Amino acid sequence: MTPALPFCTTAVTRSSRRREGVVRGLLGIVTALLIIPLISILALLVKHGASALTLDFLLTSPAAGMTAGGIFPAIVGTLWLVGVSLAVAAPIGVLAAIYLNEYAGDNWGTRIVNLAIVNLAGVPSIVHALFGVGAFVLFLRLGTSILSASLTLAIMTLPVIIASTKEALAAVPMSFRQACWALGASRWQTIRHVVLPNSVQGILTGVILQVSRAAGETAPVMFTGAAFYLPFLPQSVNDQCMALSMHLFTLSTQVPGVPEPLPYATALVLLGLVMSVNVTSIVVRSYLRSRRKW
Amino acid sequence: MSDRVKIEIRGLHVSYGNHVVLKDVSLDIHEGEILAIIGPAGAGKTTLLNCINRMSDMIPGMKVDGSIRIDGREVRDFRDPSELRRRIGVVFPLPVGLPMSIFDNVAFAPRMGGMRDRKKLADLVERCLRQAALFDEVKDRLDDLGTRLSGGQQQRLTIARALSLEPEILCLDEFSIAVDPVTTMKIEEVIKELKQQMTIILVTNLVLQARRLGDRTALFLGGHLVEVGPTETIFSRQTADVRTFQYVQGLFG
Repeated sequence: MTPALPFCTTAVTRSSRRREGVVRGLLGIVTALLIIPLISILALLVKHGASALTLDFLLTSPAAGMTAGGIFPAIVGTLWLVGVSLAVAAPIGVLAAIYLNEYAGDNWGTRIVNLAIVNLAGVPSIVHALFGVGAFVLFLRLGTSILSASLTLAIMTLPVIIASTKEALAAVPMSFRQACWALGASRWQTIRHVVLPNSVQGILTGVILQVSRAAGETAPVMFTGAAFYLPFLPQSVNDQCMALSMHLFTLSTQVPGVPEPLPYATALVLLGLVMSVNVTSIVVRSYLRSRRKW
Repeated sequence: MSDRVKIEIRGLHVSYGNHVVLKDVSLDIHEGEILAIIGPAGAGKTTLLNCINRMSDMIPGMKVDGSIRIDGREVRDFRDPSELRRRIGVVFPLPVGLPMSIFDNVAFAPRMGGMRDRKKLADLVERCLRQAALFDEVKDRLDDLGTRLSGGQQQRLTIARALSLEPEILCLDEFSIAVDPVTTMKIEEVIKELKQQMTIILVTNLVLQARRLGDRTALFLGGHLVEVGPTETIFSRQTADVRTFQYVQGLFG
């Protein structure tokens, strides 16, 4: 075999270049395909639901046995559920993640906790719902209420918040911690002044994404606090409430004679809410990333 | 340099699981001297530093036996290792600018120690940056991020930071590994100045750096302290151990 001349095109480089092009194209196409479902869903919802989507629809209660009127109580209810579940899950999740990532050693205790978190994340939402009924509604006697439903949602979102927070903390280089410790800073001082300020963007992103997930879940709230129809708004966490996801389910399957645009418009509102939360998270992330310090 | 022993190490034995990193090391480090520690990678030089300021606590699986006394006080008896670490400045091989302003980098440790007075902090920061031969280069941009400085500047920032607590002991761990030769010479001048005020342990891969700076030099090989003595002796033909002669002459390692 003669040695290849430098800088000459050979059969090998030609074929590798061709393969590079094919792979690149293939990956690009697959990625581009991902947009199709989102676009089609949006198009479908807009086509069927846009006619019903008025300010009135957003700001009035359902009327005439749910076949007319708006979805105001459901929007308010969803905000309650998401807000309360977040107020419970976010602090607990973030604190647990800090402990697991910054304090806990690698021993069997920690491994069991980590295993539990991974498995909790894999539990189907309907099982969370049944757990919520058993634990919060019946055992703790919270009744079907915003509190029960939110706690159920919190249990469901916790493992993912913990996982994403741990990831965000682990992304802060170990050398920063070592430098702080060597300067006589305690673990907490190091976390407070160096680790947390440099991981908030990741932590926030993870938490916000769970907000949108909680907003869309139906099963966990169905048995624990979301009502079929309520003519009034909830006054406290002990009341029941309506929820967008639940309302959508009701409109599409439980009530005869609902005009076609109503469920589509409801879905559009739910989707819009979730997407605006996600966009917020992207904006927050890019803002904080622009202030990234290393 | 005095003959007073600042750090007394006796029978230091360190292991991770089955892997022994330091074997029965006994060594005295005198007050106000520069002790240069040379040896190939894996000789246990960095581990020795980690034991002195008890960073070994933070390394999972590291087991430390034996005794290290600083001014006669057993290191492991410090209930709060932070108290110990505030007396020992450390400079790592790769420069670590903390993700905060240059000023905050140097003011970090004093603040953590409870110093709040702005005027005092400002004076302290300036003094430390001057000592580390960095002040003139950064005096107009103390609010810039420490992480945006060049490697050599960051390393001097790290030294300024290590000096911010007015340590009695300064540990330099291969500080010149990511620094250009000119900056290295600047830092070496700084180190010679600092010797007046503190005990310095200089771990280095550069045999000639040990020769330039060390009052005494110690050679570590595979976790053993092979030989320690006045730098002139280590770099002469009169070494006690033939491996020392071979190592410093570049015959192996």
